[in-house]
Amino acid sequence: MRAFEYVVARDSAQAMALLAEHGSSVKILAGGTDLLVELKSASHGPQVIVDISRAEDMKKISLTGEGLSIGALATHSEIMDSQLIRDMFPALVDAAHTIGAVQTRNLGTLGGNLVTCVPSMDSGPTLIALEALVTIAGAEGRRQMPLTDFFVGPRKTILKPTELLVDIIIPKKNLGKPVHFLKSGLRKGQALALVNVAASLWVDKNTFLEPRIALGAVAPVVMRATQAEAYLAGRAVTPEAMMEAGRIAAGEARPITDFRASAEYRRDLIAVLTKRALENAVLLAQAKLKGVKK
Amino acid sequence: MTQVTMIVNGDSRTASVPPETTLLMLLREHFNLTGAKLGCDVGDCGACTVIVDGKPVNACLMLAVQAEGRSVLTIEGLATQNELHPIQKAFEDQASLQCGFCGPGVILSAKALLDNIPDPSKQEIRDALSGNLCRCTGYTKMIEAIQESARVLRGGSADQAV
Ligand SMILES: Cc1cc2nc3c(=O)[nH]c(=O)nc-3n(C[C@H](O)[C@H](O)[C@H](O)COP(=O)(O)OP(=O)(O)OC[C@H]3O[C@@H](n4cnc5c(N)ncnc54)[C@H](O)[C@@H]3O)c2cc1C
Repeated sequence: MRAFEYVVARDSAQAMALLAEHGSSVKILAGGTDLLVELKSASHGPQVIVDISRAEDMKKISLTGEGLSIGALATHSEIMDSQLIRDMFPALVDAAHTIGAVQTRNLGTLGGNLVTCVPSMDSGPTLIALEALVTIAGAEGRRQMPLTDFFVGPRKTILKPTELLVDIIIPKKNLGKPVHFLKSGLRKGQALALVNVAASLWVDKNTFLEPRIALGAVAPVVMRATQAEAYLAGRAVTPEAMMEAGRIAAGEARPITDFRASAEYRRDLIAVLTKRALENAVLLAQAKLKGVKK
Repeated sequence: MTQVTMIVNGDSRTASVPPETTLLMLLREHFNLTGAKLGCDVGDCGACTVIVDGKPVNACLMLAVQAEGRSVLTIEGLATQNELHPIQKAFEDQASLQCGFCGPGVILSAKALLDNIPDPSKQEIRDALSGNLCRCTGYTKMIEAIQESARVLRGGSADQAV
């Protein structure tokens, strides 16, 4: 690695001050599982590294007036261990569990995963299916936006180098919304997704309500399958409808062929995984309805 | 140069290193603890696995300065002069390693697992080892050794000091 100056922030306010002080030749370090890999092969690197991994205020996972707030610095292991998340959104636990292996999950953070913004990121689809928002801190203060607007392109987000992703918020209206995540890779461990999918929905009088489908690894950024969603909304819950939604989603995606899989194979995976994610979310929704009636 | 101080295998250690030094290089080059191996250097192989504050991590993906004030356990911290750690003993008894390059990482991953889950299922063991690549012996005998050492550790008969 090229030489750099190293400074450490104890909280988000100090991080902001350090970023402002060191300007544009600065790079933020969280878990380092993407950044250090990148810096090891880079021909030139940042002059200053601001290590935010000890900023305790950015690690919190809690319910707030806005919804479920997950600090950008929560590691994938901490998400898997959070009782709050386990109770409310097991799909987020499942998604975190598919990332790399134990060692990577112990260091790697949710924020780092979103900021690196590779199309195959495993934490994206579930959050997008739950219409998550992100909070960004910059020189002009804090602002919020939907996660879909945060992603700009492969390895590109809306963040400026001196801006901080503070937390990720699942809005109140979606707390407890049934959601399911599925990933298909070449192996179970240490494998990037060929396709990953999340589906969230409510079921009312046996029809789909607010279905949301998010697809990863099949477009420049994690995408919503809005045509498949529109097809399902208000439609009766049947196996045929879910199969058709899978077919529509496969048509909406723009998968590529690479050394891992062909575009055709990825399309087949989208259709099958979308259908299965919907089926599982429906099961969760029905179980919830029964729980309410009791 | 940045000064770093951490607990390594129970002892406080200090070194002065350039900030871009990884924890792995600090352990190997400055503290002469060469049990953690330099394999892929990008977090895939797990040969550099060490336990930091109770959690297995890839020492190649952590800066030495990030371990400031933390407690690091390497393979050198497991055995005593007289006795192997029960996991090491089981790996020896079951001939679970061949070339041994992945061994320190595998054994530390197993230790972190058993510290949290004293009676893991086969699936939990496989999950715990999914970040440790072995290219010669395979995993069957490792899993058997981990099950065996879990039994010994639960029995409390062996040294649990570390
Ligand atoms: C062996 C291995 C396997 C992997 N497998 C998977 C996998 O299966 N699925 C998957 O999705 N990913 C995988 N990854 C990628 C990686 O682990 C994740 O993307 C991880 O979550 C990144 O988080 P980090 O904290 O390590 O980020 P870092 O490496 O610290 O940072 C990544 C980038 O984000 C920026 N950044 C970090 N936090 C913030 C913040 N709060 N605000 C602003 N900018 C920030 C940094 O400046 C840097 O540009 C793998 C990585 C490795 C090494």
